Amino acid sequence: MTDIVPFLKSLVSVSGLSAYESPVARLIEETWKPLVDEVSVSRLGSLHGLKKGRAKSPLALRPSAHPSIMIATHMDAIGLIVTQVIDGFIHLEAIGGIDPRILPGTPVIVHGRQDLPGVVVMPPMKTLPEDQRDGAIGLPHLLADVGLLPSKVTSLVRVGDLVSFDTQPVDLAGETLSGHSLDNRASVAALTVCLQELQGKSHVWDVWAVATSQEEVTLGGSATSAFDLHPDLAVVVDVTFGKGPGANGWETFPLGEGPTLGWGANLHPFLYKKFKELADRLEIPVAMELVPLHSGTDAYSIQAAREGIPTMLLEIPMRYMHTPVEVISIKDVQRVGRLLSEFISGLQLDFISTIVWEEEAQE
Amino acid sequence: MKALIEKLTNVFSPSGFEDAIRDVIRKEIKGFADEIRVDALGNLIAHKNPSAGAKGAKRVMVAAHMDEIGLMVTHVDENGFVRFSNVGGVFGRYAPSGRVRFTNGAAGVINNELLSNFRETPPLDKMFIDVGATSQKDCPVKLGDVAAFERPFLDLGKRVVAKSLDDRLGVAVLIETMRRLKSRSERVEGAAPNEVYFVFTAQEEVGTRGAGPAAYGIDPDVAIAVDVTPTGDTPMGRKMEVALGGGPAIKIKDQGMLADPRVVSWMAKTAERSKIPYQREVLIMGSTDARAIQVTRAGIAAGGISIPARYVHSPSEMVDMDDVENSVRLLAALLNSKVSL
Repeated sequence: MTDIVPFLKSLVSVSGLSAYESPVARLIEETWKPLVDEVSVSRLGSLHGLKKGRAKSPLALRPSAHPSIMIATHMDAIGLIVTQVIDGFIHLEAIGGIDPRILPGTPVIVHGRQDLPGVVVMPPMKTLPEDQRDGAIGLPHLLADVGLLPSKVTSLVRVGDLVSFDTQPVDLAGETLSGHSLDNRASVAALTVCLQELQGKSHVWDVWAVATSQEEVTLGGSATSAFDLHPDLAVVVDVTFGKGPGANGWETFPLGEGPTLGWGANLHPFLYKKFKELADRLEIPVAMELVPLHSGTDAYSIQAAREGIPTMLLEIPMRYMHTPVEVISIKDVQRVGRLLSEFISGLQLDFISTIVWEEEAQE
Repeated sequence: MKALIEKLTNVFSPSGFEDAIRDVIRKEIKGFADEIRVDALGNLIAHKNPSAGAKGAKRVMVAAHMDEIGLMVTHVDENGFVRFSNVGGVFGRYAPSGRVRFTNGAAGVINNELLSNFRETPPLDKMFIDVGATSQKDCPVKLGDVAAFERPFLDLGKRVVAKSLDDRLGVAVLIETMRRLKSRSERVEGAAPNEVYFVFTAQEEVGTRGAGPAAYGIDPDVAIAVDVTPTGDTPMGRKMEVALGGGPAIKIKDQGMLADPRVVSWMAKTAERSKIPYQREVLIMGSTDARAIQVTRAGIAAGGISIPARYVHSPSEMVDMDDVENSVRLLAALLNSKVSL
């Protein structure tokens, strides 16, 4: 198995905020090109890699097409956007879900007319409204400082310019990695592991490897790619809450002990069963992740695209989600890659017709 | 332009009950489109240059919503007082002592139950409409009837005030643009006119419901929503750069979407080339039809021209006529330019 860590580190060393994914898309495209037959970009900026299957498909749902499976991993990152420039200081608003508590002191890049290194700072307490002086300071009061004179800032930075995290990835002990945007580029790396493994495997189904855009804001990339590609099946890979300080409930999972398999209305129970059986056979540890409502992932939009797509969700446990120091286990990334490649290579031409609901299975 | 804006804002047509405004718009655009139709959701769709698509020009959809926020009758009591629910984002603080006009022509005033703390804004379910009735029997409205706020159009010279400028102003900008595109003088030299769908959408105020199906039917290459946007230029107002009189705002982000960066750059370049002043919009609250259009089908490159407006969703919204004129100029310039995303 190729070492995926250098690629993953490169993925979390570039920007690529929602709707502005091209910096990270270029990196992914470069790596996927030798692993797939065709690469294209969707109308909303998602990257589509097609690895063709071996067989024609008289038995697929739509006989004219190959049966195809879409593996969706979003590549966009959360970040900030400039709302105002006043006296040389940059005022900010979030793109995606940002916890403002972690922002002061964070290194950023302000993508103005040129890229400017900056830091997020908080103004002196006495300048804040009284209800903001204790505890965490809200985003409307935080500023980015790029160090330049006010006139220079005004000429280089405009309303609507993007601000991305600039924390560098850090190898932690025990094969864990810390960095920004590991949500969800850890999953992009897992899909890449899958594509690498598929090079030595034969598979009947067409595989659409998709790095989706705009997940953090609208799920718009996956909704439109699912419509466009019209796959017979979909698997979404994303990150989930890792166990950690103050996080030990039923919705959290330990790092390094395997990915989770989603269970709930948003996911197809037959696919859950198949993935569980496969993981047990391969002796890959997995946990059942309860998803009573919206999974909060691309699976939500893909499942109800077109006439409906049986969809499954695999998730990689992560600590400190949506901060610049997200932490994941490399082992979990590799396990997801392996599980995906084994699932794909095991797909028979008639798999779709074997999908049954519980009551049908009992007949 | 003012006369058109006054005419459009004097129509009472809340979301889902767009018949009256659709009728007015249809008459205004007669003769300025090749084909006019109404779809299943009540969107009014005017198609221009249908053959341009065949020659390689882009198919552009321009959307402005024709519905407005309003009220629906939920109960009439024995003394003829009318209870109501909101249709769209009605702010409680703007409602008491407001006047409303029902689509059947009946009128009334809003007031509220006596509150223990008279300083607080009552919730809508503590309010009622007094239509001058004395009993349920002589009440001119019944369950399910809808109304919109009534407030006379106010001409302040450079600026005008009216109810439902959100988004009858966008409607006016589309109508005026359609008229100007008729004359060759507004055409950019050497540019091929595009195939254009002007869509007057239904149900924007209740969750951008009309625009998505309209976009699904049209399947455009690129889409522009023309709507109003709040400003940050009032005393101790919101943190926002957009100001009245600064020119149309090119949408970069709002609460519901990030505009397509290619559309943002197409708009900015076109404005600069045509010497039209413009602003850059990052809006924290609110969204437009563009968000629904963007995620339709396999995805549509979507953006927005936002016309600065103060006091949005109040019965007295204010806009600047220079911004209106420059919005028309920008839209016309965009539609006449070669679209290369």
